[in-house]
Amino acid sequence: MTTQERIERSYEPGAYAAQARGWIETNLTDALRTDRATQEASLAEKIAFEAAQHEAGLVGITWPVEYGGHGLGLREHLEANREIGLSPMPNAVNSIGKELAGPIIMTVGRDDQKRDLLPKILKMENIWCQGFSEPGAGSDLVALRTRAEKTADGWKVNGQKIWTSGASKSQYCLLLARTGSADDRHKGLMLFAVPMESPGIDVREIVSIDGARSFCEVFFNNVMVAEENMLGAPDEGWAAASRVLSIERATNRMYRSWRFESEIDHLVAACRSDNRTYQILKGYSAEIAQARIAVENLKGHVETMVADLLNGQQIGPRGSLPKLYWSEAHQRWAQMAYEVTTRFPLDGGQALTDARARFETIYLASRAETIYAGTTEIQLDIISKRILNLKKAA
Amino acid sequence: MDFDLDPKEFEDTARAVMEACAEAAPPARARLLAEAGLIGVAAPETIGGLGLPLDFAVPVVAAAGEGLLGFPLMEAMLVARALAEFDAAEAEAVITGETTVTIAWQGVAEDGVVGAAPMGETVDRVVIFRADGSAVLARIGATIAPRRGATLDIETPEARFVLTGQLDGIELSVDAVETLCSDAMVLRSAFVRGSAEKCLALAVEYAQDRSQFGKPLSANQVIRHRLSRDKLATETMRNALARALTEVPGGDVHLAREACWLATARAGIAVAESAIQVFGGMGFTWEVPLHRHLRQMRTQAQAGGVAEKTEALGQRLIGASTNAWYGEIANVV
Repeated sequence: MTTQERIERSYEPGAYAAQARGWIETNLTDALRTDRATQEASLAEKIAFEAAQHEAGLVGITWPVEYGGHGLGLREHLEANREIGLSPMPNAVNSIGKELAGPIIMTVGRDDQKRDLLPKILKMENIWCQGFSEPGAGSDLVALRTRAEKTADGWKVNGQKIWTSGASKSQYCLLLARTGSADDRHKGLMLFAVPMESPGIDVREIVSIDGARSFCEVFFNNVMVAEENMLGAPDEGWAAASRVLSIERATNRMYRSWRFESEIDHLVAACRSDNRTYQILKGYSAEIAQARIAVENLKGHVETMVADLLNGQQIGPRGSLPKLYWSEAHQRWAQMAYEVTTRFPLDGGQALTDARARFETIYLASRAETIYAGTTEIQLDIISKRILNLKKAA
Repeated sequence: MDFDLDPKEFEDTARAVMEACAEAAPPARARLLAEAGLIGVAAPETIGGLGLPLDFAVPVVAAAGEGLLGFPLMEAMLVARALAEFDAAEAEAVITGETTVTIAWQGVAEDGVVGAAPMGETVDRVVIFRADGSAVLARIGATIAPRRGATLDIETPEARFVLTGQLDGIELSVDAVETLCSDAMVLRSAFVRGSAEKCLALAVEYAQDRSQFGKPLSANQVIRHRLSRDKLATETMRNALARALTEVPGGDVHLAREACWLATARAGIAVAESAIQVFGGMGFTWEVPLHRHLRQMRTQAQAGGVAEKTEALGQRLIGASTNAWYGEIANVV
């Protein structure tokens, strides 16, 4: 998705979606479905499923063929994501690899890095995590203190990262560290591809509000990183990361609005499986309408961004608009879905049991959505400063 | 379809015409709009229109909302488009501004009274809906008498019509009315977007000019974030409108139009109310035009049936389950 200049091949609307849908219907097992309360696929099964998705053309769609991708355009990417969203497929294990590390490597990496690292992301040989945030540098990311010190044997890294999603199952960390002092702020920041098996890395899982153990703390104690694992020149990596972040904010998990739509469909269907619950649902028709309207609006944001990228336009600060929109709309929806599915105390059958479990998790997990990937407050700051250009002094 | 023209090019023209209209007396506005070709932008060339898709009407109607145009432009555009296949001469008269028209958006002929007709007191003809989904473009006169009711909008005051006799006029088929109402959701959204963007622009300007406690209002995070949310609202309108005008594979244009209008209607009102708050004491004066925007947007929301359409959408969504992944569990009720 980083390459707007990619040549558009002949494109037949709808054909790619049909192909994707057919594959999902055949390969999404009950154990993998996220709308089943009782069955949970193992990490190994999810990884295998994700690798198979790549082979089937659902992943790596816009990446160049020489780096393991399918060499197609954003339109195909959007079509496949629509089908991914409408199905109860699990979220990607390696979304940091595919949607953040990959595009950054493609922008600033050396050719040998691209040839080595990129195909392994798509084949699920390397899962990536993102070592950006620190205990003292969350929203204010450039306050980060993790140091990379140049030595005769390469770079010696010391510091601590936090909120590193999936670090405990990752093979690589996209590390942002500084080569100077913390006062340098934007200067002297360096990006590295750090193998997670390197001596001196200690990962501790953080249990989050929904009981998940996805977020981690990562400690770097005298971790030696080879010179060749630098991504881009000093400062260049960070500049590229900022650009990529703005695109990613707008386009990552492109299936999101369709997943949101399928959650509404799931709730309605589950409530329709039991007359008593259906009566309860009828009292929420206005909220259901508002949720669906939000889904359509979100599709509007996503489709506009895709059209703009295809026209070679920059997304820049506008990436904040869909992030702000989806996170708040999804929270409102999640709260309502939880409320509906938990109002009936009796056993309503398996469909309701499944829905209740799913929406309780979604409700709790959604509390993080207005915090991660740039808090609501940060998005509002970006809009006021960089879109509205509001002045702070006379 | 490929056109050499870009809808955006109509924006500047439309704005200039709206400014001229603001200084003209109401009867002259039809002529000014017609001369610039704006009423017939999206009407077929056979009746004197420009034959462009609805996309091109969007910036024109948005400029009308922004410029507080005192003329039922959206209604004239819709009627001209609908009339083309039933009465070409009358359609042409609408496009040239010779005949002025409005639409009674609320009620059906069978009720004996219809309402929410912008400028119903001063135009020549009115479209009246029937219970079977068809409509009639009728001449206003003794048996179709306009009455000024309570009207919040002061730009195009609403009237209602008491129907005391036979309803004669040009018949519009059920299909034509369906298209007209679908297109109305797009144009109404455009109108509200223009109005809301103007409110936001005024608030952004005021927040940076007005100084309190030694700094502009815009230095305060609470104001900055409020305006950022309003910006999100107007950008959401823009993107939803683009979506409402595009066929995408697997997409549902009707739902896209409905969602666009329902979201835009509510958000537009909220942006105007927010701008009034930013203006402080000046915000609730007659002099500052924000109340005029609020009035016209509230009126649009009512005429466009936001409450009932939202309710109907909700009922439709819970009344069926169409996602194939969930079909098997949804067949109990």
